[in-house]
Amino acid sequence: MITPTAHSPPGNALVAFRSVNKSFGSTRALVDLSLQGSPGSVHAITGENGAGKSTLMHLLAGVHQPDSGEIRVRGQAVRIENPAQAQRAGISTIFQELTVLPNLTVAENLFLGREPHRAGIIDRLLMRRRAKQALDLVKCRVDVNTYCQTLSVAEQQLIEIAKGLMADAEVFILDEPTAALNGPEVDTLGELIHSLKAAGKLIFYISHRLEEIFRFSETVSVLKDGRLVGTFPTSELTQDRLISLMVGRPLGQLFPPRDPNPRDLGRALEISELVPSDTERAVSLAINRGEILGFAGLQGQGQREIIRAVAGVGPHVRGRVIKLSPDNRVQRVDLASVDVARSGIGFVPEDRKSEGLYLSLSIEQNVALGMLRQLALWRRARVRKSGIDDLLLRMRVRSHDQAQPVSSLSGGNQQKVMLGRWLASGVDVLLVEEPTRGVDVGAKSEIYALLREFANSGGAVLIVSSELTEILGLCDRILVVREGEITAELDGVAASEEEIMRYALAGAAAEASGEL
Amino acid sequence: MAVSISRSNRSGLRPATIALPALLFVALSFLSPAFLSVQNLSNINGQIAALLIVSLGQLAVALIGGIDLSVGAALSLTTTIIVSVNPDFALAAALFAGVAIGLVNGIGVTVAGVHPLIMTMASMTFLQGLALLIHPVPGGTVPDYIAGLAWTSASGVPAAFFWCAGAVAIASFLLSMTRFGLRLFAIGASQASAARNGIPVKWYSVGCYVICSVAATIAGIFISARVSAGDATVGAPFALDSITAIAMGGVQLAGGTGSVAGVVLGTITLGLLTNGMNLVGISPFLRTAATGVLLLLAISMQRRNVIGV
Amino acid sequence: MTTHSLPTAACRSIVRLFSSVPFAYAGTAALLAFAYVTRPALVSPVLLLLIVRQAAPLAIAVLGQSLCMRVLSLDLSIGGVILAVSYILTSGILRLPEPILLTICVLFGVAVGAVNAFLITRIRASSVIVTLATALILSGVVFSFSQLRAPGEAPTILRYLGQTKIGIMPISPLVWLALFVPLALFLRMSVFGRYVDAIGANPRAALISGIPYIRIVTVAHILSSLFAVFSGFVLVGFVGAGSLDIGRDLPLSSLVAVILGGVTFGSGKGGSLGPAVAAFMLTFSFNLLTSLGIGEPGKLMLQGAIIALAATRRSSH
Repeated sequence: MITPTAHSPPGNALVAFRSVNKSFGSTRALVDLSLQGSPGSVHAITGENGAGKSTLMHLLAGVHQPDSGEIRVRGQAVRIENPAQAQRAGISTIFQELTVLPNLTVAENLFLGREPHRAGIIDRLLMRRRAKQALDLVKCRVDVNTYCQTLSVAEQQLIEIAKGLMADAEVFILDEPTAALNGPEVDTLGELIHSLKAAGKLIFYISHRLEEIFRFSETVSVLKDGRLVGTFPTSELTQDRLISLMVGRPLGQLFPPRDPNPRDLGRALEISELVPSDTERAVSLAINRGEILGFAGLQGQGQREIIRAVAGVGPHVRGRVIKLSPDNRVQRVDLASVDVARSGIGFVPEDRKSEGLYLSLSIEQNVALGMLRQLALWRRARVRKSGIDDLLLRMRVRSHDQAQPVSSLSGGNQQKVMLGRWLASGVDVLLVEEPTRGVDVGAKSEIYALLREFANSGGAVLIVSSELTEILGLCDRILVVREGEITAELDGVAASEEEIMRYALAGAAAEASGEL
Repeated sequence: MAVSISRSNRSGLRPATIALPALLFVALSFLSPAFLSVQNLSNINGQIAALLIVSLGQLAVALIGGIDLSVGAALSLTTTIIVSVNPDFALAAALFAGVAIGLVNGIGVTVAGVHPLIMTMASMTFLQGLALLIHPVPGGTVPDYIAGLAWTSASGVPAAFFWCAGAVAIASFLLSMTRFGLRLFAIGASQASAARNGIPVKWYSVGCYVICSVAATIAGIFISARVSAGDATVGAPFALDSITAIAMGGVQLAGGTGSVAGVVLGTITLGLLTNGMNLVGISPFLRTAATGVLLLLAISMQRRNVIGV
Repeated sequence: MTTHSLPTAACRSIVRLFSSVPFAYAGTAALLAFAYVTRPALVSPVLLLLIVRQAAPLAIAVLGQSLCMRVLSLDLSIGGVILAVSYILTSGILRLPEPILLTICVLFGVAVGAVNAFLITRIRASSVIVTLATALILSGVVFSFSQLRAPGEAPTILRYLGQTKIGIMPISPLVWLALFVPLALFLRMSVFGRYVDAIGANPRAALISGIPYIRIVTVAHILSSLFAVFSGFVLVGFVGAGSLDIGRDLPLSSLVAVILGGVTFGSGKGGSLGPAVAAFMLTFSFNLLTSLGIGEPGKLMLQGAIIALAATRRSSH
């Protein structure tokens, strides 16, 4: 057990978070968090999914406001209500999501909102000149008159960086700035960061790329589950030590037991050469009957695109999905949501409120919709009410009345109803995104039990989860996804958090720990 | 984001956008001897002037992803106002009405969150009723100074041309030279991104609806002068015609793509088709049906993700 | 627990009851009361039955429009369909026996609905623009044809449907009933009806969970055009002859009636009966307006205001 040291970086604090708390609904994103950053330093912020890194920086960027605690900039307590205020306070943010507008040129994008003008008329010459200067700084050779629609992701990211650097700020927040950049471009960014540091700026660098953390930063703060694990001088850490700081939680008794020697019931789904979009690579995998397969990895690494392509809900460029029934009948599945459902595959989306549930309809109506899956449109909607009762009882959905709208249920019960709709529909393959997002602990274990029961009776489950403990506790087999590719296949019972993280983190991490 | 850019720009112009009116022009000059006469060309100019002005207003709204179905009724209402109020105040009253209509539409869409199609359909109905209330039967006298605006020619060039040229000049200037124009494109591409860059999206949206209604009003002033009367139904075709014109000019109704040139070309195409059908002797009712088909063709080429309204 | 909590609770539940019942019921009651005071002649049973008969075509069209609205679409081509139907039936342009003409009209309605549906579901064009364009095309074609042959007398079958009475009860509302009951039952009991509820409640979830969205919207539009055809039958029968004005106000009125009847985009709270009551209420109000001296203009202004207000209320929830 490592005792977190309250390391104080040299110099006065330019930005200080003091006991900051932030919750979204019932999820506590930040818990009693305190850290500070000094001018003329690069301060890395790292941690697993859901650790709170982005939320912390969003507070500084004015996207959210803390529920309690305070933020101090230059010693003064501030309340940053919106991004414009953050800019005025001298904070410039380069977000992870690309925000360049495709129908504006590079120059127009760089100056949107603060265009150089004379009485409303844009001074295009000046704008172009300044834009060129900004691009030269990041060594981007794109013509400032190009429309951003035609740019590659890397070029767009460079422009985002250029835009962020243009601001006359003292604090820079870089959120995963190198996700799309290649080696030389990262080097350029490194030089820029260095010159900013020399000019006395504070740079908060959010990243999973361990080699960049070690290369650029001299201080690193590790977050876990919304709390600060500790702030350390980077020089005092190794990669292994850093990883172990990010993980390490007892699994607890949430999970139903797994069979260490599962019977081979055959394959349920074969996915070959699936390419979700032009910028992604081909993926092939198989899901077996009786197993719960998990996609592990950092958020935004392509897991969602893959599962949605299979579900027919997201785009795909190429690929083939074949479903095999227990009696070995083979069926090609057309990658459109209607056919996917008809083939006996159910997709449970991450956002149950906007994509999964019919909030204004009753519990009974929601579940009944699943039971109608195989009936033709003109048939009588014959639904066994007792069947619904049994299901709800089995799932331990606590409510007084089946007729009440689903919106009145708790998050956990809502999730169960959404799952229950598919369980009632007789599908034998489930594709589940974030099975227990926004669900309390009690309901979590009930949902795990339902999924295990489903698998045990011959079903196949693929889950995408950003919670490592969930993957480790529930899955029989784990596929680690990084940058749209499957980088490792691990046994669910034997795997460890460290092992998964190592495969999930980019670049040198995996190589350094023993694959060289 | 609902932008689709062809040829790396945001004008929406495609080879067909330019080829179509050109081909029509050539075809018509062969098909009908009367086509190239000064009289006929001047007629076409007069006929499309009002549509051009209305369509330019519609462009403003379309760029931010909205639409305005009430332009026709606003135009009709304007003609009835002009013949019904004290001649000294006719212009002012008309313009005031235009601003008011635009404000109602804009606030309904941005603040009350009503879908633009529904909101402007509601105001269209209301304004149509109002126009019929003010002036049920076509007629009335248009003040002389207004009539003069639409009929005086300068050195042989008809007044209609100046109206067109003026509208095009103002619209081009606003769209390509000012901050306002640039920001419209930004809002059309992504309201969230535009807001994050400090653009007051709601104010701009309301402004666009006001521009659209005022344009319809100006077209109404022109029409009242042309037909020398107030007519509560004269504007009815303009709503769908302006949408057809801008759609044919490459403007994406989802927002973010469009150009003044495209609107001009689309309007000319529509005008040539109408004029051509006239010259060839096709019944005016079939002409209406043809514009309906054209509208269907034009919007079929737009990209959209929503099934329904 | 204080003693005056009971009346407050009662008040609250009364208010809740009133706000959950579609406006049409309260509105009709209010209108009748108002008319009783200002134009008592309108409230006589004979006249009320006449208004019911007059409202029947609207009520039939409303059946289709409410279905479209529940799947978040709109059908504004109703007027064009009715115009075309009236022309086919009365102009004698097709010299065929009456039953065959009626069948042709039905098939025509299905075709128009299918074209609308294709453009809306596959091409994904806006349903407002598509159906307005279709209406434009239909009316343009009919008007140009009527230069050659004017619309004429209505077929006998339809005149019977539209004008005769059984005792004091006119037949046309019974036609509405004959259409309403099967449709309401179908929507209540079938898989299709459940899916319509789902689409209205959350279209994104319906799409994702594999509900055959496109097919359902297609059926909705075909049914809407079909009901427009039936509405046209009754209307032509009622008027006794074809005309170029027939059914022109129906698209807008059906939209307003559906809204007043409690069906707003995506919700079916008014059930199936609400819009029918609203159709009656609207027809009654038009008659009232005419008797008060505010004719067509008043009608339009009222409808525009209602649409705007109803849409505002919905969005603010």
